[in-house]
Amino acid sequence: MSQMTDMRKTEEEWLRTERLPHVWCPGCGIGIVLNAFLRAVIRRNIPKEKMVVVSGIGCTGRTAGYVNVDSFHTTHGRAIPFAVGVKFARPDLNVVVFSGDGDLFAIGGNHFVNAARRNHDLLIIAVNNFTYGMTGGQHGPTTPTGAYTTTTPYGNPDRPFNIPHLAISLGAPYVARWTTYHVNQLQNSIYKALNMKGFRVIEIISQCPTVYGRRNSMRSPMSMMEYFQKNSVINNKASYEEMELTYKGKIVVGEFRNVGGIPSYEERYEEIIRRAQE
Amino acid sequence: MSQNKKFKRKATVKVLEERCKGCWYCVNYCPTKVLQVSEKMNSKGYHPPVFKENIDENVVCIGCHLCELYCPDFAIVVEELE
Ligand SMILES: Cc1ncc(C[n+]2csc(CCOP(=O)(O)OP(=O)(O)O)c2C)c(N)n1
Ligand code: SF4
Ligand code: SF4
Ligand code: SF4
Ligand SMILES: [Mg+2]
Repeated sequence: MSQMTDMRKTEEEWLRTERLPHVWCPGCGIGIVLNAFLRAVIRRNIPKEKMVVVSGIGCTGRTAGYVNVDSFHTTHGRAIPFAVGVKFARPDLNVVVFSGDGDLFAIGGNHFVNAARRNHDLLIIAVNNFTYGMTGGQHGPTTPTGAYTTTTPYGNPDRPFNIPHLAISLGAPYVARWTTYHVNQLQNSIYKALNMKGFRVIEIISQCPTVYGRRNSMRSPMSMMEYFQKNSVINNKASYEEMELTYKGKIVVGEFRNVGGIPSYEERYEEIIRRAQE
Repeated sequence: MSQNKKFKRKATVKVLEERCKGCWYCVNYCPTKVLQVSEKMNSKGYHPPVFKENIDENVVCIGCHLCELYCPDFAIVVEELE
């Protein structure tokens, strides 16, 4: 059997296949992100008992229910604090937060900011579909200015978060952004980040054709994918201004920060324990 | 004819039909267009893709696995031919 076929078969072992088909709508990007994530984990040879996946609430949050490892489907916005606790109790585990833009940056925004500042040893897979998918498509802190949602029927007046810029400003050692069109780059990015320490952030621009695409003339799964394909520009050296997302504008993707050697919170804490014991 | 042959068939595609939701990423991103929307319907009412076998000697699966990477529903398994 080829390596790729082997990988696909191993993927089934990492899924709770008895729960498939999953709840996500036809063409929802979350499944593509999960697919890339599992492949990166398998390539890293991480044993199942050394991996924990923590999700918040939302369509993306349902991921915790499909991975065949110990996982937590936490309360809305609190995936990061749960994950911090897991990492403290079991520093030997790879702790991954897999959640949506509303969960991580609206209700959970303060946790994101402070966990990034402290450089907790977590990998954050942030699925940004520009909206609150699960609750019917309200605007949130990542909705582009001008976009139509159930709560912005005349266009969104807000300015969205620039997530890579936010993460970099807080010192996150690994920061990347891809779209679900970039299946290989995304997988490679997760593969790299899995081997690093500290607060690693990968933002994935993902399609929610059902409640976001529908209101923004991208009703079919393929039309959202074509938008990502046509408008993405890879630029690892993008300026903060270039990283900003606009309505139907260019999507600058890439690996924006990759810096080794910054001690994680857990490493600094161990050092404190060592000093106190002396 | 055989001098015009562009690709050599490398793999075959197994579709887990009950998992498919008919998004057509697989059909659209297959570089050799060897997948097509089938007539048949699964129990949820979606038309899973079907692998075109031996239709044209230039329409072959090159085993790139792109259909598998793009499938959001884990409905595709590409198997290399020995
Ligand atoms: C405390 C609390 N407030 C509000 C909700 C309702 N709620 C459920 S999911 C959600 C937003 C999810 O958006 P996002 O994290 O972007 O996930 P998506 O569904 O888009 O993947 C909200 C507001 C809730 N479950 N709990
Ligand atoms: S509502 Fe949107 S985000 Fe939720 S499963 Fe459907 S397409 Fe995906
Ligand atoms: S493996 Fe590649 S060539 Fe074969 S069906 Fe899939 S996308 Fe097409
Ligand atoms: S990509 Fe997967 S879910 Fe979509 S049509 Fe193909 S097999 Fe079905
Ligand atoms: Mg969302």
